[in-house]
Amino acid sequence: MKDLYLVYKNLTRKKMRLFLTSLAIFVAFLIFGAVTALQGALNSGIEMSADNRLVVVHKTNFTNPLPYAYVNKVQNIDGVHQVTHANWFGGYYQEPANQVITMAVDPDTYFDVYSELVVSPEQMAAWKANRAGVMVGERLAKVNNWKVGDQIPISSNIFSKKEGGHTWELKVEGIFGATDPQVDTGYMVFHYKYFMETQSWGGDNVGWLVLTTDDPAINEQVAKAIDETFANSQAETDTSTEKAFNKAFIEQIGNIGLIIFGVVFMAFFTILVVVGNTMVLAIRERTAEIAVLKTLGFSSPRIFRMILAESCLLSFLGGLLGLGAAYLAVDGASEFLARFLPNLVLDGSIALQALGYMLLLGLVTGIVPAISALRLNIISGFSKG
Amino acid sequence: MSIFSQSWAVIVMNIRSLPRRLWMSLAMVLASAVVVAVLLAFLAMAKGFEVTLQSAGAKDVAFFLRTGSAAELNSSVTRDQVNLIAEAPGIARSGNSPIVSPELYVIVDGIKKSSLTEANIPLRGLDPQGVELRQNFTLVAGRMFAPGTDELIVGEGILREFNGFDLGSEVRFGKYKWKVVGVFSTGGNVFESELWADAKVIQSLYNRGSTYQSVRAKLTPDADLEAIKAYLENDPRITQEVQTEEAYFAAQGKSLSYMAIFGRVISSVMAFGALAGALNTMYTSVADRAKEIATLRAIGFSHFSAFVGTMAEALVLALIGGIVGALSAFALFDGMNASTLGGSFTQVVFSFEMSPELVLQGVYLSLIIGFVSGFFPAWRAASVPVAVAFQGGR
Repeated sequence: MKDLYLVYKNLTRKKMRLFLTSLAIFVAFLIFGAVTALQGALNSGIEMSADNRLVVVHKTNFTNPLPYAYVNKVQNIDGVHQVTHANWFGGYYQEPANQVITMAVDPDTYFDVYSELVVSPEQMAAWKANRAGVMVGERLAKVNNWKVGDQIPISSNIFSKKEGGHTWELKVEGIFGATDPQVDTGYMVFHYKYFMETQSWGGDNVGWLVLTTDDPAINEQVAKAIDETFANSQAETDTSTEKAFNKAFIEQIGNIGLIIFGVVFMAFFTILVVVGNTMVLAIRERTAEIAVLKTLGFSSPRIFRMILAESCLLSFLGGLLGLGAAYLAVDGASEFLARFLPNLVLDGSIALQALGYMLLLGLVTGIVPAISALRLNIISGFSKG
Repeated sequence: MSIFSQSWAVIVMNIRSLPRRLWMSLAMVLASAVVVAVLLAFLAMAKGFEVTLQSAGAKDVAFFLRTGSAAELNSSVTRDQVNLIAEAPGIARSGNSPIVSPELYVIVDGIKKSSLTEANIPLRGLDPQGVELRQNFTLVAGRMFAPGTDELIVGEGILREFNGFDLGSEVRFGKYKWKVVGVFSTGGNVFESELWADAKVIQSLYNRGSTYQSVRAKLTPDADLEAIKAYLENDPRITQEVQTEEAYFAAQGKSLSYMAIFGRVISSVMAFGALAGALNTMYTSVADRAKEIATLRAIGFSHFSAFVGTMAEALVLALIGGIVGALSAFALFDGMNASTLGGSFTQVVFSFEMSPELVLQGVYLSLIIGFVSGFFPAWRAASVPVAVAFQGGR
């Protein structure tokens, strides 16, 4: 206990330095927490993808449509459990800049394939019964303050209505959540058939197919069977696991992400080096005092432990506050940014990483002066002072 | 002694004593350098992207898109509409025919070198008149595609960032094979992130009938955009709107500007961290020189010179850091190739661009860090009573 009091006294002897050093550590961990959460949000599509889900797209590129007939053909392939399909609608709400991710889907199968999405049975039944109804993701509904029963005008920057205009009036029949907070619920879905009948171009294309296989082990075999079925047709297909597809999509945003995170992490470590340097020097200043402690009969290991405790305490003081601030910042930003980045969460694994770095910072900055204190010869300690 | 020579003497003395506090001083330089480098990395990225798009737009080219579509991706134009648009006032003619270029593109997959994953590339269909509308167009290697064939030419940006588009090679998009017969440059702008082929071939291979997505038209020097707008609005058969190509690409270039904002936020937060480190350095420096400062004050140097001396030390250290940061950002990032999804949902290949104004912004930031981290310690240096300073000064 006495040791702790000494550690505390040492730590607080220069209030200004304590404040500044903690501030630097605080900032470092604030940035670490916020940026790692951001990175996690960008990659959440990969992590959240189901093992047994495959995505079938046009071989030329996923923006090219597939014939509707493929839905049934794929359903009949061995190993395919359930197929559903979706069309990109290019939706926006009121202003073109106000993008709302909207897809036209098959109401009977979509939520079976995406089984991690949760809707109450009553809302599901109501949505299936209303052709002009829309099922809205929790986060999207929250951002726009939409409630069940609201009538919302959604415009398309791609399609026009048969009777003119670009705006569809849809009624919110249900709001879907998810089993995990990182699952994307920042979008909405409405009836494919209603979409096809009301838009001016007609046709019977689907954007892409999503299917579940009977077992993740047969994914590859099923994917191959699908692509072979449509080889040499007008619309050849490219089937991949959901994970691979999402990963490729994120890679499209490209190495700029890699560069940014590289830069920020470099900066994080540099701040730690700078701060570490200050902390090392702060303890070195006290060589003479350590000699006094030794003269008084403090054992070397005891002093060693005290110095390490001091540096770790300092590191955790700034670090935990920074991590807390990052948590609040991410929490605040996630509502504000929900439209662009739906899955911003600072979760346990990030916090654990941060704690690891705090411990590392404390140990590394403490170990040098602690070892020199351990070895310190009393006489030379006094002569240095 | 004048106040200037006094101050100068103190400045020189402080800076000469820097090696004594080498590690602390280096820490401050490093902190300042990192903040500046991070800021510049983000700004250079946003700038490079913006320049790549902006420089693609010409002032004297009108650009027609379907009303409300915002980007070429979502737009459509029928052959009849193209003919109507060609008759709009202010469109230049060569001989008897208007200089218009109806264009379309399909998005195809290419394999990115950096990740070996598929990414979207536009395969643009246009005719020779469209090629002529691009300023700075030059064929770097090979020849132009022959109309009516499955030949294409590839932009230099694509060659740089994607595998498999070398001159002479055959590429397959879905069912169809294309032959790469030429490589073109447009002076580094966004068109180099495209593949070009004959418009009619693309229409027939990819079931586009006779529709296009956009129309470019050369304007006469005295053309009035308002007159064209009025013409478009008065004809109910036309569902397109017009802007200059310059305006279109200027808007598209803004789509990565959030990077610049993000960079400014991150670097400001980081500047606080650096500031804390720098203040520590400067307080240590003042403590280290407490006796010197007291001596100077005792022999009649002014408060002001003590203040200026410490201030100058802080500014010099921060500035060195700023310059180191700017130089390393320049060395690391200037010209760095990157590609990302642009507004047309296809890859835009661009290079980071570190312009002199950006470097200046970095230097300003380092001076702010220097000023703030110097001010308070300098205040202390100037105001500690002489007697206290002699006692140990801490």
